[in-house]
Amino acid sequence: MANQSGNAYALTMLCPILGGVPPDAPEGMAGQTYTARLRNVLQTLHMNEESPMAQVPNTYLCRFWVLSDVPYQGKPAFLEHLKSDYLVFSSNFHGELEPYLEGMWNALKDGVLAILWHCVGHETVRDAASFIAYVKKCQVTTTFFFNGSTDEPLAEQLKNLYLKQEFSKFAFENQGKSGQELQEAFRGFIQRTDPENLAGPTWKPGAYHLDRVDAEPETAAGAGSK
Amino acid sequence: MNAVTPMRWYTAWWNRLFFWIAHKRPATTAGLITLSLIHYARWVIVMPNQFPRLSPQQPQEEVKYAYMLFFSNFNGSWNQYVDSFSSAIPAGLNLFWFGSIKYPRSVPMLPFHRYITSNQVWTDYYYNAYPMATSNDIKSARRVKLALRDFMGEVKAASPDVFLQKYNSLLINLQHDISQMGPNPVVSLSASAVERNLNKEGVARKAMSA
Repeated sequence: MANQSGNAYALTMLCPILGGVPPDAPEGMAGQTYTARLRNVLQTLHMNEESPMAQVPNTYLCRFWVLSDVPYQGKPAFLEHLKSDYLVFSSNFHGELEPYLEGMWNALKDGVLAILWHCVGHETVRDAASFIAYVKKCQVTTTFFFNGSTDEPLAEQLKNLYLKQEFSKFAFENQGKSGQELQEAFRGFIQRTDPENLAGPTWKPGAYHLDRVDAEPETAAGAGSK
Repeated sequence: MNAVTPMRWYTAWWNRLFFWIAHKRPATTAGLITLSLIHYARWVIVMPNQFPRLSPQQPQEEVKYAYMLFFSNFNGSWNQYVDSFSSAIPAGLNLFWFGSIKYPRSVPMLPFHRYITSNQVWTDYYYNAYPMATSNDIKSARRVKLALRDFMGEVKAASPDVFLQKYNSLLINLQHDISQMGPNPVVSLSASAVERNLNKEGVARKAMSA
């Protein structure tokens, strides 16, 4: 019904997880089910600017979780159970589905395969096209998508945030100056911040600390291009 | 936040209708926009026959209920979020969760809190491209960028006096949008614990790479 809101896309997928215990296990994981192994993979991924998802162009926000059963509401509701566990992946991103998934495959092929290894039908995923086909089989249509933010490319959002922060500092630091001093300072500000250059200086995708947020052009690749 | 709530398959069609109207008439979500805590949220109704089945070896699901999956990406704490919703748009919540089994309605708050808590599923991995920015920051940053672009065009050949006058107008127009971000205050004990762990992780990584 509504996977899209303007240029923002809401991908929701439910990937059935394999049942039982994988035949081989790394140290400390013997006897663990596919679901437990998958949770371990997800919970040990790096976070923030070191997140693998920071390399996937145009990802605003995303999450992984495991739906291991459906909640019971108590009598007189039915008690029912799912027969498989499902990996739920939901991503909010800019643009269309197929280019986004292609970008994810190109940026994170090994990571994608490491996660999907726990899921039914993973052996069909060999390249970008088969990955897209797999995701589409697992995709469930969003009934209603609410966009309370903007739907610009991520690179623009990050550049805007960088400019907002830098211009706020500029306004604070240049209070009470004469027109001439201010004009000169503003020229320096424009030269330094390069407002129309999305490649940098800008914010790094995923950065969590102000002292680690600024990115020069070569480190801003994960934001993707317009 | 993720919540999963069951509903009868035939009431799910009513919910789909409500959501369809909300999609076609954005004015119906004005309350959500006013709250301005949310970056992106979605409601996904999975009918009993819509759980993906990728192989004949995968057992066929036999659930009778439809399930509504709710995902929200918001800034602030869980309590701030849930209470704001319950206070600001109680009727909208009741409509969106209409037909969910044993939904207690959004007011009073305690049964509503219990309902959300008991149907919530924890996220295993979360990524946010701008964890320091609120939804309002994203929107105001866009206004700052557009205003700066116009200002740069207007003052290209301006004298210092005209520049000053236009600069002051710019600041007045942007007074709601310019603010310096700083470190978050501790909004919850769990947020504080995450912060401590991240710091530890950072120290450990630095030590490993040294």
